[in-house]
Amino acid sequence: MIYPFWDEPVGYGILMAVIAVLHVFVSHFAIGGGLYLVVTERRATKAGDQATLEFLQRLSRFFVLITLVFGALSGVGIWFVIGLLNPAATEALIHNFVWGWAIEWTFFVVEITAAIVYYYGWNKLAAREHQIVGWIYFIFAWLSLVIINGIITFMLTPGRWLQTGNFWDGFFNPTYWPSLVMRTGVSLMLAGLYALLVATRYPASDFKARTVRYTTTWGVVGLAVTALSQWWYWNAIPAAITTKAVQIMATPMHAMQYSIWLAAIIGVLLVVFGWLGARRLPTAVAAILMVLGLAWFGAFESFRESVRKPYIITGYIYGNGAELAKAGAYTNGGFLGQIQYTTGDEGADLFRHSCRSCHTLTGYKALKPAFDGTDRAFIGAIVRSTNLLKGNMPPFLGTAAEADKIADYLYQQIDKRPLGEVYGLQGEGLGRKAYDIRCGTCHILGGVSDKSKSFAGQGPDELNAMLDMSADLGKGMPAYTGSGAERAALVAFLQELGKQVKK
Amino acid sequence: MNLPDYEFLSAPLWLITVLHVLTLTLHFVAMNFLFGGVIITLYAAVRRRWDDPTLKKFVRLFPSAMAATVTLGVAPLLFLQMVYPKQMYAAAIVSGWFWLLIIAVAIVVYYALYRCAFKAERTGRISKVALGLALLGLLYISLTYSSVFSMAERPAQIHSLYAQDQSGWMWNPAAGDYVLRWLHMMLGAITVGGFFVGMIGRDEPAAFALGKQFFVGGMVLAMVAGMAYLLTLLPYLEAFMHTAAIWGLTVGVLLSLGSLHFFFKRRFCESGTMLFVSMLTMVYARHTVRLLKLAGRFDPTSWRVAPQWSVFILFLICFVVMLAVVGYMLRLVFGAKRSAS
Repeated sequence: MIYPFWDEPVGYGILMAVIAVLHVFVSHFAIGGGLYLVVTERRATKAGDQATLEFLQRLSRFFVLITLVFGALSGVGIWFVIGLLNPAATEALIHNFVWGWAIEWTFFVVEITAAIVYYYGWNKLAAREHQIVGWIYFIFAWLSLVIINGIITFMLTPGRWLQTGNFWDGFFNPTYWPSLVMRTGVSLMLAGLYALLVATRYPASDFKARTVRYTTTWGVVGLAVTALSQWWYWNAIPAAITTKAVQIMATPMHAMQYSIWLAAIIGVLLVVFGWLGARRLPTAVAAILMVLGLAWFGAFESFRESVRKPYIITGYIYGNGAELAKAGAYTNGGFLGQIQYTTGDEGADLFRHSCRSCHTLTGYKALKPAFDGTDRAFIGAIVRSTNLLKGNMPPFLGTAAEADKIADYLYQQIDKRPLGEVYGLQGEGLGRKAYDIRCGTCHILGGVSDKSKSFAGQGPDELNAMLDMSADLGKGMPAYTGSGAERAALVAFLQELGKQVKK
Repeated sequence: MNLPDYEFLSAPLWLITVLHVLTLTLHFVAMNFLFGGVIITLYAAVRRRWDDPTLKKFVRLFPSAMAATVTLGVAPLLFLQMVYPKQMYAAAIVSGWFWLLIIAVAIVVYYALYRCAFKAERTGRISKVALGLALLGLLYISLTYSSVFSMAERPAQIHSLYAQDQSGWMWNPAAGDYVLRWLHMMLGAITVGGFFVGMIGRDEPAAFALGKQFFVGGMVLAMVAGMAYLLTLLPYLEAFMHTAAIWGLTVGVLLSLGSLHFFFKRRFCESGTMLFVSMLTMVYARHTVRLLKLAGRFDPTSWRVAPQWSVFILFLICFVVMLAVVGYMLRLVFGAKRSAS
């Protein structure tokens, strides 16, 4: 709360995803590509295979252009964007891991220099020296991963660091090793996918068939390592996190499922087109494989980023920048007093620092549609019990009066017409919508906290009575404050749910 | 709850300051080579001297210079964030979009420089458009840095700008704070660019003369802009006169003049060393001005120091390995060039 809040309209999740996913895609490919280049060069030099050496030279040109320019700058971009989006967490990481980053910087300097020398060294350096530079490039690129992996995994599983505050406890945390092996596997896979794309530009020939088969093997081996270590990685995450994810967090679970499906599709395409149809592998398929590789990474990173909710550093700093160690001060002394950069609109300031890191009003994870057609009392109740809702959100840490200020602010932004009018619904449709908005944020039909069974055999009177006393039914349950028409539609919908259970 | 506190420095402040000043100076050397080089090359376009082999060599070095600028810029940014996160992040957030745009612009500049280098290699001609685009990008990046880092020294201004607008579209309105400093740095870049053109083109009289022209002219103008910038620091000038930085600055000016002397004698090693030390003193003076401007609102010595010596020693080892490996690779390159010639 000691920093101003960047109130941009795109959404923090999207900004982070665009920069980070593209960067990790390129940076992992930079590692695997380095190994691919030097190992293949060694083989080709030994065999006197001039065609492959020319292919590698061509490959290394694009490799340098992508990794040196986009890879290096998007890496700096991550620095820039995390400082804007969550400066408190960035500050915590910097103070704890500055020497880790400094070490990574020394590797980065060697990596960049080696990449330049390797590219410009074709036909200038002796073959042995050129390969030595290639090995230097790969080793230092991989060492960069060795370092940065410790900091990335720390954010999800800080392990013993939470007790000791020791650098090494944080660095070699519970997911460090599986993540390192997995990311190494991904690097090999991406190197294979990229080299495949370049290889398909050659006309059908023995050379193309041989190169495609060889390159496909890189992709398949990388994919196998990735798949096995992904399972290891999942099991290394503390059960408290994964269990909660399975129960109430749709985003990381969907992301994990997508990543598994994408890996399977990549595997099938590699075997069918890369091994069996190597001679005629079309560029379009290779391009699709690259896109799938990027999508896989997007899905995995989405899992990693979202599974640690409600934290940005598990057990230490919440996603909205609120520090767990200061939770008492926020709750007792008030959240507003902790906000150092204010605008004069207390509701807006509280909203920004409590909710806005994850939610926008109308765009990414929009709140307006979640509250349109509701009322101030309902919004206030939801704000007060955010940690009980699906999605594993941080608790609201301010006072009750401050929760009301956020509710006031949000109420000013929403459509105040009755729910049915807002969405043009009536009858069953309105009932379903009322359920989604007023009940579905906790009670997921067919999922966690599904109360459908309790509606079985209940008539309108019983259900109305239940709605009347909803605030007393459980911790954080809001009182039912919808209009008469909305209530009638909701009751009918609940009755229908009960009937379906009975059947 | 007893959680570890992150508000600490993991090395003594003096050590972080030394590393910050040193790495920032190295970043400026690479940046000046690039920035000054681009300006001088474009000037040569106006004078129709595209065929000058030194300039072609220069253009081919631009992508590597950009890589060096970016790489050497990471370390000082890291150390700056360590000591001044509250000032730096706050200023960056207020100018969020301008700040983030630096990355996109830098990517465009990088590709423009590659385009220029590849074209020079392939056709022997230089792309004016690509070079002009790169220059515009570099101007944007440098001005944004000056705006944001200067704003970081005025916490009250950040509060007031944030109260007006939270969208990240606020540019630092106190131009008097940073325009002359920015101009001084740009002219300094031209000076250093001139030095490098002269050094690389030492065997070609026209190239050496061109380098000399920019080295001397740039230095005179940079000194004028530097003096003008000093005058804008009037409220802090008295305090500045009582710091070691004023002595450093005096030595820096003398060394700059000394570097001219050795440059004329074509003793580039001595000239370059003097120029580097002179830049080091200026970066230190800049650091002192930051402390003076923040005095009373933030004191970096107030940080709790909890050194992480084991990791720091590992960093030192890696640093030495880095120097050795980079040195080895450069030896390979220059060895290959010698055998080719």
